[in-house]
Amino acid sequence: MRVNPNITPDVLAAIYETQQQEDTALQQLSTGKRVNVPSDDPLAASLMVGNQDQSSRNDQFLQNIDALTNQMQTADTALGSVVTALNQAISLGVQGSTGTTTPEERQQIAQNLVGIQAQILQLANTAIGGVYLFGGTASTTTPYVLDSTSPSGVKYNGNDGTNVVQVADGLNVQTNLPGSQLFQNASGDVFGSLQQLITALQTGTASDAATATTALRDAFNSITSNRVFYGNVENQLNSTQTFLNQEQVNLTSQANTLVGADITKAATDLTQATTAHDAALAAAAKILPTSLLNYLNPPTS
Amino acid sequence: MPGLNTSMDIAVQALMAEQGALDVTTNNISNVNTPGYSRELAVFQEAPPIQEGNVVYGTGVTLAQFQSVRDQMLQLRMYEETAQQGDSQAQLNSLSQIQTNFADPSQGVGGALTAFFNSLSQLSTNPTDPNARQQVLTAANNLAAAFHQSAAALGQVQTAMDQTVPQTVSQINQLTSQIAQLNAQVAQMQGLGQDPGTTQDQRDQLVQQLSQLTDVSVTQTDHGITITTANGVPLVVGGQSFALQSGAASGNGLQGVFAAGQDITSQIQGGTLGGTIQVRDSVIPNLLSQLDTLASQFTASFNSANQAGFDLSGNPGGNFFTPQAAVSGAASSFGVAITDPSLIAASLDGSAGSNGNVTKMLAVQGQPLPEGVTPMSAYANLVLAVGNYGANAQANVTASGASLQQLTDERNAISGVSLDEESTNMIQYQRAYEAAARVVTTVDSMLQTLLGVGVTK
Repeated sequence: MRVNPNITPDVLAAIYETQQQEDTALQQLSTGKRVNVPSDDPLAASLMVGNQDQSSRNDQFLQNIDALTNQMQTADTALGSVVTALNQAISLGVQGSTGTTTPEERQQIAQNLVGIQAQILQLANTAIGGVYLFGGTASTTTPYVLDSTSPSGVKYNGNDGTNVVQVADGLNVQTNLPGSQLFQNASGDVFGSLQQLITALQTGTASDAATATTALRDAFNSITSNRVFYGNVENQLNSTQTFLNQEQVNLTSQANTLVGADITKAATDLTQATTAHDAALAAAAKILPTSLLNYLNPPTS
Repeated sequence: MPGLNTSMDIAVQALMAEQGALDVTTNNISNVNTPGYSRELAVFQEAPPIQEGNVVYGTGVTLAQFQSVRDQMLQLRMYEETAQQGDSQAQLNSLSQIQTNFADPSQGVGGALTAFFNSLSQLSTNPTDPNARQQVLTAANNLAAAFHQSAAALGQVQTAMDQTVPQTVSQINQLTSQIAQLNAQVAQMQGLGQDPGTTQDQRDQLVQQLSQLTDVSVTQTDHGITITTANGVPLVVGGQSFALQSGAASGNGLQGVFAAGQDITSQIQGGTLGGTIQVRDSVIPNLLSQLDTLASQFTASFNSANQAGFDLSGNPGGNFFTPQAAVSGAASSFGVAITDPSLIAASLDGSAGSNGNVTKMLAVQGQPLPEGVTPMSAYANLVLAVGNYGANAQANVTASGASLQQLTDERNAISGVSLDEESTNMIQYQRAYEAAARVVTTVDSMLQTLLGVGVTK
């Protein structure tokens, strides 16, 4: 049977193919990636779009959590100081409610309470970078200003609005409580009861002061229970952060599965390809120069 | 009754025949590396015998003809496979250029979309922050740039492919006119009962080159071969060739291919020309349309989200991106409608510090567009399409390459020159030549003997 006498193209094709295998294995080893262009594995490349998106989004969520944690801590600290100040005000109120205090002493206590009122006012106007934390969504205007015409002694310029921020897929957390809810709600009015106590001490009776002190206690209880909100959000942010960090690890591992090279396999492939390449070259070197002419004696003259 | 002179004549004829056969061997050896060359055989034939009475005696050998050894069917299959190879290779070349733009998932439209939504997410933590607002605008402009770049990359490849069409058409015309000339010669020689040998090799080699450019159908007729395009437009009939024309096609402004005034662009299949037209007229428009649909629907979807809110001054939100009148071209005209960061309608209740509408904007990320998938999935589908086109072209190139290699092997097994075989033949002819020469010497010696009879010393 006659066979293809010109095997050069086949030999070259074999050499090219083994060389290509070497290149592929080498590229996988050096880049650590199995998929370098979409045609290497269209489905994996397409899934990587989602993976990359999710991973980048989670990074942003983690940044959001950092920013929010700062806000929550500042708000919580401010409210902690409000609670301390209110405690002090209640002690003063109890002191002023006893029948043994003199009018001068009551005036003195009232003066102290005015100082506390100013302190709480300042705390209620806590801001980070010009953004007021207790003004609802009207966060660019000072929430509380002194107003002598108001029964509570202050005027609220904020609103009842709240904001939510997404901190994970499908997880929105509320990030603020408006001042109207914190300081002046149905179960307790911080500024109103404080003003009531000051007025009672300045112009009223001991029993007026006692009533006002009771109201102040209600306000104290109200703000203490509302303050829990910030602690809860902080806890939620912490656990979300842990979740997201784990999620990032999962996504990296998924990305590795999708487009990462199996280094062990790539190394084995490289060895195999090198062996095949050497074999192809050796075979070429052995076969190509051989023909019948090698064995014929040169014509003798 | 044959005499010594007859023997001498027969021996001389044998010498000439062997020498002629050696010429064939020499020619074969010389063309061992000529592409498309089919080896030739020296066909020996007995000279007509002479009958005298009851005795029939041979009159030696004649060299009847040199015959090329070829398999026409194999040749036809090689044309087909070559056309397939040219087609896939043209597609692969262009798709390799295209897919680099979609290779890195953190770049391009996908990466820019993610970055845009991340900037909004950042804004939601502090909706009055001017830096965060500016970042949203910057990210939006980056997204626009990414859309422009992807559309331009597709457009550039399309233009580059379009420019090759007239060149390819003129190459086809040049080949068909050469083929027609050779075809006429082949037909003439075949008509005279001669083996067209080298002329046919040259013609077949040119048809092979033509197949590389476009898929042709070759049929054997009394007048040589007839070549038509795959859908029947004649290119070569006998000694006549029919030129194709290229020119601006109506409608898309791209180069069309015409035969006798008829636009046959969409019917061209296979070969470099078929692959080029396939990518130019089908693959790229399909990818561009996916990109345009995403750009247009995303614009509409995000604008309506922005319009649901209020900007920093408490005014109702307007268009965030430039509204797109038509889907076609939306990616290249994708633009940001606002330059003032305070116009981002982040607020839901009109207060500056409200971020409620950012939530609605972020929701665009997870909601299906009218085309049925989320923006990011639409982009992932685009990447999938690009990858699939590329992978298919790659697979086809590999498959047709292997197929073509096998066909070439088969063809060479029949038509290829074997140096071993030629060496053997050479020895064979040499020995026969030596033997015939010995006959001449012997007859000469016999004649000497005869002439010496009666001569006394």
